[in-house]
Amino acid sequence: MQALCVAAVVAVLIPLGDMLYKFTYRGIQIISIPRLVNNPLATTPGIGNMIEGSFILLAISAAIAIPLGVLGGIYMAEFSTGGRFTEGLRFAADVLAGVPSIVLGYVCFLALVTFLNFGYSPMAAGISLAIIMFPYIFRTTEIAIARVPQSIREGAIALGSTKTIMINKLVFRFAFPGILTGILLALGISLSETAPLLYTANFANYAPTSLFHSQLGYLTGVIYLFYTSNLPQYVQLAYLATFLLIMIVLALNVVARVGLKRFSKV
Amino acid sequence: MSENERVGQSSQTMQGTNWAPANALIKLEDFSAYYGTLEVLKHINLGIEEKKITVFMGPSGCGKSTLVRTLNRMNDTVSGFRTEGKVLLDGEDIYAPTVDPVLLKLRVGMVFQKPNPFPISIYDNVAFGPKIHKMTKNRSEMDTIVKESLQKAALWEEVKDRLGKSAWGLSGGQQQRLCIARAIALKPEVLLMDEPASALDPGSTSKVEELMVELKDNYTVVLVTHNMQQAARVGTNVAFLYKGDLVEFGPADEVFENPKSELTEKYIRGTL
Repeated sequence: MQALCVAAVVAVLIPLGDMLYKFTYRGIQIISIPRLVNNPLATTPGIGNMIEGSFILLAISAAIAIPLGVLGGIYMAEFSTGGRFTEGLRFAADVLAGVPSIVLGYVCFLALVTFLNFGYSPMAAGISLAIIMFPYIFRTTEIAIARVPQSIREGAIALGSTKTIMINKLVFRFAFPGILTGILLALGISLSETAPLLYTANFANYAPTSLFHSQLGYLTGVIYLFYTSNLPQYVQLAYLATFLLIMIVLALNVVARVGLKRFSKV
Repeated sequence: MSENERVGQSSQTMQGTNWAPANALIKLEDFSAYYGTLEVLKHINLGIEEKKITVFMGPSGCGKSTLVRTLNRMNDTVSGFRTEGKVLLDGEDIYAPTVDPVLLKLRVGMVFQKPNPFPISIYDNVAFGPKIHKMTKNRSEMDTIVKESLQKAALWEEVKDRLGKSAWGLSGGQQQRLCIARAIALKPEVLLMDEPASALDPGSTSKVEELMVELKDNYTVVLVTHNMQQAARVGTNVAFLYKGDLVEFGPADEVFENPKSELTEKYIRGTL
């Protein structure tokens, strides 16, 4: 039995390790300042605009999803009365987390790009990513806050604390590592999406000029579009984008884990 | 209590509840409490003597913890909880609609069975109450409050060099004394202690008991305990509760040496 388990773990780790090695190797081979700063049409093609695009989208989606997700999670854990409405909200968030991102992308295309006339834009793409991120932040916040011991809440109430002060000064502080982990993982998910961005941002080699009606490039788009290029330079850029994404998502996960362990030692 | 309400009560429960202390800071008048339809406290009449230790004791489920929690309205948050009758603190009914439960807790502090220090520094724990109620103007006033509270809780010497460290690094006994310091930092009139030593080792228990005896010089203490020896050691007045009824209430030596009720006697002997 133990041998089977070990074999299963090895079977998963080998392709993962192989993938990490290959893309790290190829990424390091090609990485240089011009590659990271230039646009794809320059003499030394680079993915500078796509890196910028990814971070713009990350910023917009985080600015929407984090406040809504954290406040929603706090509401669910501290203020909701546990009735049908609360259960319905929780169920809706879980369903939303399960909707394929390409479906969400298409819905955003219809609603934002077309109906509200945002056009292919950072705003439409950012909102679609925020919708994908929201349920993760919402649920991990609720769970992190629900884990705060009731004894701490009672201690605060017995000192004449109002619920707001108790949440701001104690509950949130205690739950913060768990909430941060949820946020970091949601950011990783946001950076890794492709399908919804194809529907809401399309793709461009240049940086966006406005929040609306301005297509933009992003790292996952580079992988999707450049990997099948006939020109080897662009295939190399796809490897570089892959390497960068793996490193960023890996870093986010490591920070989330280390942060959680460190803060859990309170 | 009217004669109609006394009908149905056995003579055993009625006998020992006629005594009232001379100088009662808190008075319960025909006080009943319910969780939904379940009556958990039944027509309680008793007085908590000022600057003394009043002990509530009784078997599990007798209502002693519920009773002590009604004195600072901690039960308000429990859904389905309701009360009848009055709880007078200095003559004012604390369950009157005009009373702010938050301000009540400035006058009636509480220490819980299991120590519950906040996951912040020792200093910030003690300073928490005065800070949120804006009791100080500057840092040095707060330093004074923290020091005095820790001294009164017999913890200052042990923690004065590590006030910035997390309270969770303290031992169980130290954490409980920290919780006492935290409660008395607000300078309450009354200190409710719900089995404060039951989660502690014997050494820490005796420290907390010594502390209780010192505290009664400045605070009116209400102690819940199922430890009869502890009740006899530290209690001034003792109330014995059984299934929501106040069976007997009187000075500690009288209740323990000469109980008026058969139920009380059985409980003291351990045959209940």
